[in-house]
Amino acid sequence: MSAITLDSIGKRILMMGNEAIARGALEGNVRLAAAYPGTPSSEILESLLEASKTFELYVEWSINEKIAFELAFGASLVGARSVVAMKNAGFNWVMDPFMTVSYTGCRAGMLIVVADDPGAHYSSNEQDTRVGAVYNKLICFEPSSQEEALEMARESFSVSESLELPILLRSVTRLSHASGDVTLGRLPPIKDERFHGFNKHWKLPYRWNVYGPPGAVQKHRWLLSRKNLIAEYTENSRFNEFEKGEFPLGIVCSGIGAAYCDEALQNLELVGKVQFLRLGIAHPLPWRKAKEFLQSSRKVLVIEEGDPVVESQLRRFAQAESQEVFIFGKENQILPPFGEINMDLVEEALIKVFPEIIPAKKVVSILENPLSKGLVVPRSSTLCAGCPHLGSYWGLKKAIQSQKELTIVNGDIGCYEQGGYGLFSQSDFSSQDEHKRYPIQSPYTILDTLYVMGSGISLAQGMSHSGYPGKCIAVCGDSTFFHAVLPALANAVMNQADITLLVLDNRWTAMTGHQPSPTTSPDYLDNSIKKLSIFDIVRALGVKKIFLVNAYHPLEVQEALEKAFDFKGPSVVIAEGECMLQVIRRTKRKWMGTKVTAACTGCRTCLQLGCPAIVFQKNKALIDPLQCIDCGLCMQVCPVNAIDGGNLCN
Amino acid sequence: MQLNIVVAGVGGQGSVLASHIIAEAAINQGISVRVGETFGAAMRGGAVASHVRIGNVSSPLVQKHKAHIILALEPLEGLRVGLEFLAPEGVAILNTRPIPPVDVFVGKFVYPEIKKIIQALEAIGKNVHAFDATQLAIEAGNTRTLNSVILGALSAVKVWPFPSQVLEEAIIARVPAQTKEVNLRAFNLGKMKMENLDGK
Repeated sequence: MSAITLDSIGKRILMMGNEAIARGALEGNVRLAAAYPGTPSSEILESLLEASKTFELYVEWSINEKIAFELAFGASLVGARSVVAMKNAGFNWVMDPFMTVSYTGCRAGMLIVVADDPGAHYSSNEQDTRVGAVYNKLICFEPSSQEEALEMARESFSVSESLELPILLRSVTRLSHASGDVTLGRLPPIKDERFHGFNKHWKLPYRWNVYGPPGAVQKHRWLLSRKNLIAEYTENSRFNEFEKGEFPLGIVCSGIGAAYCDEALQNLELVGKVQFLRLGIAHPLPWRKAKEFLQSSRKVLVIEEGDPVVESQLRRFAQAESQEVFIFGKENQILPPFGEINMDLVEEALIKVFPEIIPAKKVVSILENPLSKGLVVPRSSTLCAGCPHLGSYWGLKKAIQSQKELTIVNGDIGCYEQGGYGLFSQSDFSSQDEHKRYPIQSPYTILDTLYVMGSGISLAQGMSHSGYPGKCIAVCGDSTFFHAVLPALANAVMNQADITLLVLDNRWTAMTGHQPSPTTSPDYLDNSIKKLSIFDIVRALGVKKIFLVNAYHPLEVQEALEKAFDFKGPSVVIAEGECMLQVIRRTKRKWMGTKVTAACTGCRTCLQLGCPAIVFQKNKALIDPLQCIDCGLCMQVCPVNAIDGGNLCN
Repeated sequence: MQLNIVVAGVGGQGSVLASHIIAEAAINQGISVRVGETFGAAMRGGAVASHVRIGNVSSPLVQKHKAHIILALEPLEGLRVGLEFLAPEGVAILNTRPIPPVDVFVGKFVYPEIKKIIQALEAIGKNVHAFDATQLAIEAGNTRTLNSVILGALSAVKVWPFPSQVLEEAIIARVPAQTKEVNLRAFNLGKMKMENLDGK
C-alpha cells in the first residue's frame, strides 16, 4: 500500500513534501482535487490520484491552472472540500478568478497550494506567491517541514470554512522536493458524509455572484470585514510561536526560513539568547505577538525565502506603532534578494547583524585545492536519445537555413524549451549586429526567444505585424497547445498574422513526468487513439495551410515548414512522434544494432542532431548501445550513409 | 547526534532510492531525518545529489564541507559533490566506473582521470575509498544493484551509527520482492569490500 493511503495513526514515515501536502488534504477530507502539472508541484495531484483509487475523491489533470482553480471553487460552492495545486508560474494563470472569488468567499473548505521555486531550478522566474495573499487579503500558510505541511494542509479546510475564504499554502522546492519524517493522522471515511447542496443566497443575498446585489464594492467590503476573524485565527494559531530570549535582539523567520534558522541558532549557540518569532503563517502577521516581539527587540533580522514579504509587513507595523527598531533582511540586502537562501547564508547574516552575541567563529579555511582546478566538467541536460523533437528541430534548422531573410523562432515551455538552453554553443555571445545570422550548431541553440506558457505564438504575431521582414515562427508542444496556445492561434487567424506555428505533438505532458495531455491515448497499449486531434482543431479554427508530418522524418518536417513559410498568413505544421521514453516503457524496446560503419569521415554532422546516444571518439562517431533505441534519425542526417541499422520509427 | 550524507550519481543510477533507504533505516531507529535533492531540469542522465541528514536537523541541505560521508555512484559526480560538501574529516566512497557526460562526447570537455579525482578528494577528506562498484553489482547479478553495493559499503564505514542489518532491512522493504536476493548479494559484496579497505 502506498504511503498516501497508509492507515496507521501515529506512525512516523518518510514523505516528500508534496506527498505530505496531499496526505494532509486527504486527512482533511478533501473530495475534489485538480491541477495542471508543473515542477515542483506535480506530485501533490499524483499522490491524490493514487488515493482516489481507495477514496471517493474526484481528481483530474486539467488543461490549465485556471480551469483547475475554477473546478475546485465550484466544488466548494456545492459543499465539497477541494484543493488546487500549481507551480509558481501556474499561479499567474489563476489570478483572475483568484482575485475575484475572495469577494464572495467560499463555502466548503478550499485549499490553494502553490509551490514556488526560489533558485529557479525548474522555472522561468523566482516569483514569491505569498504576495498574492497580501494582494487578496487572504491567509498564507508557509510550512517549514514536511510534518508541518501535512498538518497545515489538513487544518486548512476547517480554517477556510470558519473564515469562509480560500486558504493559500505556499511551498518551495526545498520543501516540496525534499523528504522528512511525518506522523500519519486519521484517514477520512471512504465516502463523503458531509452535506452537499447549493444555496444561492447562503448567508448573504446573491452570494455566489460578484455582480449580484449589493454589488462588487459591497462584496469587497465584506472581504475586508473578515479581517478581525483572520487576525483572531493567526494570533492564536499554533503555527506561529514567540519565544522570549535573554537579549533585546530578535529573529523572525517564516516557512523554510525557519528550518535553516533553527539549525543556525544551534550552530551559533544562540538558542534562548534571542527573541524568536517563528511564523507558519506568512500573511497576515500575528500583530499582538509581533508587537510584543518588537517591543523586546532593538535589532531584528528577518529570514524568509523569496521576496521580503514578512519583512515589509513588519516594517509597516513597526512604523505604525512607532517602534524604534532596526530591521534587517532582504530590503537592505543582509540576505540576497534573489536566488535561494541556505544555512550558510543564514549563518553569515546572523554573524553580520548580531556580532555582539556571536562568539568570534573560527573561520573554516576555504578548502582551496590546486589539485581540483579545472577538473570538474559539466553534465548538461539534453533531449533524450531518440526524442522526436530531435527530428523536428533538425527539420526546422534546415528550413530556417533555406530562408533568405532572418527568421525568428519563438520557443515555449516543455522539453523542447531545451532548444533555448544554449548547450554546446561555441559562438560569441554579444553582438550589436541586428542582421546577423547566428549559426545553429545543435537543437540547443535553435530558439531565439523563450518566456512562458503560450508566449511564443503571440510574440511571433507582434513581430510579424510590426513589419519584421523574416518569417516569425513559434514552436509549442501538445500540452502547451491546449493550455495556452489555442486562443493565440484563434487570434492569429482572426487578425491574419503571417506566422508559422510548429506543434511538436509527443502525446504527453512529458517534461513534468508524463501526465496525460489531450492527445494522449486513453488506452495505454494502443497509441493510435487520440482524445482530441490538434489537426482537426487547427482546421476548424480556419487555418488555411496545415501540414501533418512525422517527426522522425526530418526531411518531411523541413519541406512542410518551407511550404508553410512561403504561405502568407497563419500556417501550422504538426510534427507527430510519441515521447520515446513512453514508447520504451510500453514496448520494452532495446537497442537492435544501429552502428557507425567504416565509411564515417568524422565530419560531426550527426553530433549536430544533439542526440545523447551519439558519441565521438578518435575522430569517428560511435553509437552508445545503452542509450540508442534505433530511431533512425542519425541515419537520415549522415551525409555519407555511414550509419547502419534499425530505423524503427518510420 | 547529527550525520550528513550526500549521495551523488547520474539520473537513473538509483541514488535517490539509496538516499531514501538510508533515511528510512534511520526513521526505523526512531531518529528524525531530512532528505534534500538537487538536480537540474534533465529528465534523464543529469547530475543528481541527494542530501540525507540524520538526527537533530531541520535544513534539507548539507552545508558546504559538512558532509561526514559522500557516496558516489559515479566518479565525476563524486568529485563535483566532494569539492563542495566533503568535510575535512569526512569519508568518501567512490565508484570508479565513469559515465561520461554528453559534454565530453561532443568534444567540449575532457573527462578527468580517475587518479586525479581521487587525489583532489584526498586533498579535502583523508578517507577516500575508491573501487569499481559497478563490477561488484555485475558480480552480484545485476548492474542495477549498484546502489545496494554502495549501501553495503556504507554499512561498514566506522562513522555509520547503526548495525548493517538496519540498512539490509530498509533495502528489503523498498526493493521488489524478486530482486531481494540479488540486492542483498550486492549489499554484502559492497560491505566486504569496504571492510577490507576500512573495516569497522
